[in-house]
Amino acid sequence: MHYDLIVIGMGLSGLMAAKTAAADGQKVLIVGKGMGSLCLFSNTIDVLGQSPTAMKMTDALSQWIEGHPLHPYSKVGLKNVEEALSSFLSLFPLPYSFQTIDNRNCLLPTGAGTLRPTFLIPTTMVGGISVDEGRELIVGFKGFKDFYAHYVADQLRCRGINLELPDLLSQEPTATALARLMEMKSFRENTGREIKKQLQGETRIGLPAIMGTHDPARVKDDLEGIIGAKVFEIPILPPSIPGMRIFNRFKEWLIRKGVTFLLGYSVSKAALKGKRCERIEVLHPPVITSYSADRYILATGRFIGGGLKADDEKVVEPVFNLPLSQPRSRENWFGDSFSSDLPHPIHGAGILTDASFQPVDAGGNMILENVWTAGSILAHHHCIDEKSREGIEIATGYAAAKHALEK
Amino acid sequence: MDIKTEVLIVGGGATGAGICRDLALRGIPCVLIEKGDLASGASGRNHGLFHSGGRYAVADPEASRECITENGILRKIAPHCIEETDGFFVSLPEDGLAFRDKFLQACEKVGIQTTLLNRDEVLSLEPELNPNLLSAVKVPDGAIDPFTLVLENARDAELHGVKILLHSEVTSLILDGDRVKGAKTKDRIRGEEYTIEASYFVNATGAWANQILKLVGLRIGMALSKGSMLITNTRLNHGVINRCRPPSDADIVVPNDTVSILGTTSIRLEDVEHFEVTPDEVSLLVQEGSKMIPAIRETRFIRAYAGIRPLFLSEEKGDDRAISRGFVLIDHAKRDGLQNLITITGGKLVTYRLMAERTSDLICQKMGRNTACSTHSNPLPGASRPAGLRERFKQFSAARGEIVCDCELVPRKEVEELLGTEKLRDFQDILHRTRLAKGTCQGGFCVYRLLGVLHDSKMLQGDSNKILKGFLEERWKGIRPILWGAAVKEEELIEYIYKGIFNF
Repeated sequence: MHYDLIVIGMGLSGLMAAKTAAADGQKVLIVGKGMGSLCLFSNTIDVLGQSPTAMKMTDALSQWIEGHPLHPYSKVGLKNVEEALSSFLSLFPLPYSFQTIDNRNCLLPTGAGTLRPTFLIPTTMVGGISVDEGRELIVGFKGFKDFYAHYVADQLRCRGINLELPDLLSQEPTATALARLMEMKSFRENTGREIKKQLQGETRIGLPAIMGTHDPARVKDDLEGIIGAKVFEIPILPPSIPGMRIFNRFKEWLIRKGVTFLLGYSVSKAALKGKRCERIEVLHPPVITSYSADRYILATGRFIGGGLKADDEKVVEPVFNLPLSQPRSRENWFGDSFSSDLPHPIHGAGILTDASFQPVDAGGNMILENVWTAGSILAHHHCIDEKSREGIEIATGYAAAKHALEK
Repeated sequence: MDIKTEVLIVGGGATGAGICRDLALRGIPCVLIEKGDLASGASGRNHGLFHSGGRYAVADPEASRECITENGILRKIAPHCIEETDGFFVSLPEDGLAFRDKFLQACEKVGIQTTLLNRDEVLSLEPELNPNLLSAVKVPDGAIDPFTLVLENARDAELHGVKILLHSEVTSLILDGDRVKGAKTKDRIRGEEYTIEASYFVNATGAWANQILKLVGLRIGMALSKGSMLITNTRLNHGVINRCRPPSDADIVVPNDTVSILGTTSIRLEDVEHFEVTPDEVSLLVQEGSKMIPAIRETRFIRAYAGIRPLFLSEEKGDDRAISRGFVLIDHAKRDGLQNLITITGGKLVTYRLMAERTSDLICQKMGRNTACSTHSNPLPGASRPAGLRERFKQFSAARGEIVCDCELVPRKEVEELLGTEKLRDFQDILHRTRLAKGTCQGGFCVYRLLGVLHDSKMLQGDSNKILKGFLEERWKGIRPILWGAAVKEEELIEYIYKGIFNF
């Protein structure tokens, strides 16, 4: 089968690249072994969380771009970052949409009871903005081990309660199991009534982020209707239900647009001829299938995603064996303390590209003329410390696809 | 709160806990004081080898004989702490067979039963071994759970009326002529200070022995030797694998439950409090260990750690060559004229009981009492309890409910039961007493959950993120040296949880 574009990697950057190409009418294949960090970590959309909350994001970004010429945002450019974010937002119409508060970062409570700055906030989390009035009730579930209402409440100086779960669960109550339960009307209503019974004048209810995968806005509305108070979700340990919502929405849209979706398989090899990628080989045990395209976008993420691999000496990119920017030796990968002020040097490692996201060698020479790269696999960002992961994924996925389409 | 007792034992390692159990069984009142938790020094920081004595048979037959005798006794009194795996002394082509023959003779002399196995025989028992090996000698080595051993000794002592003070340190010793009259102590958590008066004082502080002796102006010749170890993610060997050559770096791989522990190095240290595993040590352990078990080169490690061996230097002038792995019992009455102070140090985990016996004998002799030791025939309280992986699986399947630690399958119920029965002072005490934070993620998930459980049960209130951050830094010391390969993935996950989702 021959395609206009093959996207390798099914995290947010790959999905965004596929969306951009599909919107342009291209025949697209997206292949990925998993759903990327999206379903582990992403709840809201961070763009540049480390910038001051007082600053408009546009100003923060343009300042950042000025100070960091090699950063992925600088290659995308301010205008295209904003276009990319709009393109992402257009996938999420009401009722489950993402919004900003006055185009600035704002603080949301987390599963450790800390406050965390972020930019685009889903409908179900908006109610958690500025929880500093002690008027919140944090609600957990007995037997659910990834959220502790009293832990969160004690940090936020408010009250916490734990609700009993019905015995009908034949499995461990995981985040996904709870999300499915929340989609059952009876469970949701019982939960709402139980919370209402236990209210002591609180006006906002914080729940772990498990309010359903398919129609979270409905879950929220129903709960608010029964309880008579605002309800908001709190990000918890992985997996991330809000991340799965994003994934599902992309998947539904892409498939409707005719994109071929190949989930659960990894690319075992890229066949090159001169400066071109001819085809990729995908391992469907026990057979290997080849797929070819005019252009390829590599968006395989960092270590968890498998885009980068570390042996005991160096970091490598396993699909194309692309040259990487990386610390000189293993001793320099990590700092002496876990939470040092400076990011661990290994997090800055990644693929070197030109301004159009085509991989280059250390001398800046293009390596493959029909391959582009996107997402966290790129060099010269520290998305954990910058709090820029989703922003970089969205912006570079969009930009890499735009550049690929132009050529 | 001032305390009066007959014997004050300083140090809650295997030796100290063993002494207080021994004395308690002889009906002698005593108190144990420990500045951290039980087994927080070398007793808890070793590779968990249940020695047959084989390792020392050639160089130190006396220490070796002690080991094999105690090996037999511990199998009877502490079967629940021991996995009877056997051990193999493996000769590689570069080692030749000269040492092996010496080894066989030496073992016979000290009474260690050996079986000589040829290449195919040993490979059928231990398929991960280097297929080029020449031969292997089977000895009755095994794996021991040092934490349980120490906790059980302490528990039995408590059942016999001994008072155990944890997280409390001796700040000074009060002298009265040629006797120690009392110890000034401080509770390190509450800051409370109090005095313990006793007729006899035992310094069982291992590597810290000179810090206690300094309080009365004394010092013994002791070398501190750091030994570093690596823990693999899976168990690579059924039995203990030793290199059949004179003791050297990285010559042992001890199986332990679901993992293997690769050890050790030996580096002289000056400071007993500050030490860490260096990158060079990690490289050396992997390089040398993989000669015995080639899979070590590919395997994933989950942690590096180090312990300090207190090695006693012979006090005869000019004789620094005989650093014994055997133990020393110093009667400061004879040595320094201080009538009621005893220091016991050196030795091996497997000889802790003998060390306790000799110390208690000396105390009895000083007291003019004639009560015999009974610890060699008196099983530890949990000895009748079935142990091992099979038992853990049975408990686990019966427990149901929430699993706090997915790596090691620790049920919340187990944690809550512990909270109900033990007077725990510190959340680290809970980690010591369960398998929490011992698995692949090294507490990346379960310590947050543990703190959550503590908040649920109102045992913690307020800012627990400070505790969590402290734990992550402590954890980092063991993780950073082994960060390559798959471990980098795990670390990216953990880092993103705490710095990303939780914004630490």
